[in-house]
Amino acid sequence: MWLGDTVNKLYNIHTVWLMLVLLTLITYGLSFIDANGTAIMMILMVVAFAKGVMIIRDYMELKGVSLLWKLIMYGWLSIVCLAIVVAYLLV
Amino acid sequence: MKKYPKPIPGDLAMWFIIFAELLVFGIFFIAYAVVRINNVDMFNDSQLTLNREMGAINTILLITASYFVVMAIHALKNNKTKKSSHYLYAAIASGSLFILIKTLEFHDKMSAGIDIGTNTFYMFYFLLTLFHYFHVILGLMILFVVALKTWKGHYKADQTHAMETAGSYWHMVDLVWIIMFPLIYVVR
Repeated sequence: MWLGDTVNKLYNIHTVWLMLVLLTLITYGLSFIDANGTAIMMILMVVAFAKGVMIIRDYMELKGVSLLWKLIMYGWLSIVCLAIVVAYLLV
Repeated sequence: MKKYPKPIPGDLAMWFIIFAELLVFGIFFIAYAVVRINNVDMFNDSQLTLNREMGAINTILLITASYFVVMAIHALKNNKTKKSSHYLYAAIASGSLFILIKTLEFHDKMSAGIDIGTNTFYMFYFLLTLFHYFHVILGLMILFVVALKTWKGHYKADQTHAMETAGSYWHMVDLVWIIMFPLIYVVR
């Protein structure tokens, strides 16, 4: 309960911006790891997906809108990320 | 009492444009990943020639511009019109810096003799990033019109429709780049 309340208090548009910047720096940092490994690719795509969710939910303010809109936006993000991951796994 | 979903932010017509744009970009992203399957070495070698620093800085600039747009809408909802226009001008400044850096990046590549015909990777690189580049410019023009009208006091606290419409388009441009940066600059 305490942890949940603290997270809710800290989760606002300013911390969303900060998290997006930090995740971008993580992506940049991971680009220096010279590993063509599946794990790095998966981490990078999960980070991109998480950033996309924050943009749709908090920047576009789609939290609480009709299910159809959320399905289209999150569906687009999920399909694109998943298709990229599958294509990279096929190599 | 039945709880109804909140209305979508901005104009419905803009949302159809957003869906169409996302579909086109999505197809391009998937095409890039699929074509790469049979050209892994060429894609990886070419990718290493890209300027990752510029890509990361540009990502932060777009994220920050989007943050300013959200702040502008919140300020307008609180009837702080001047403050709202200032946030929009800050967003325009961030977006303009993105364009400047991207232009420098294109110039670097062109100066090195690299263009859309160099190889398949660069064909995707130029096609995707140039397509996105023009969307950023259009987004900046839309934001500028809304910022000017806000600064002149055309909108009040209950008139956020135009700004939300402009904001939704801008966030779409941001969302697309969020996928494009790791895909083209980083993931190998």
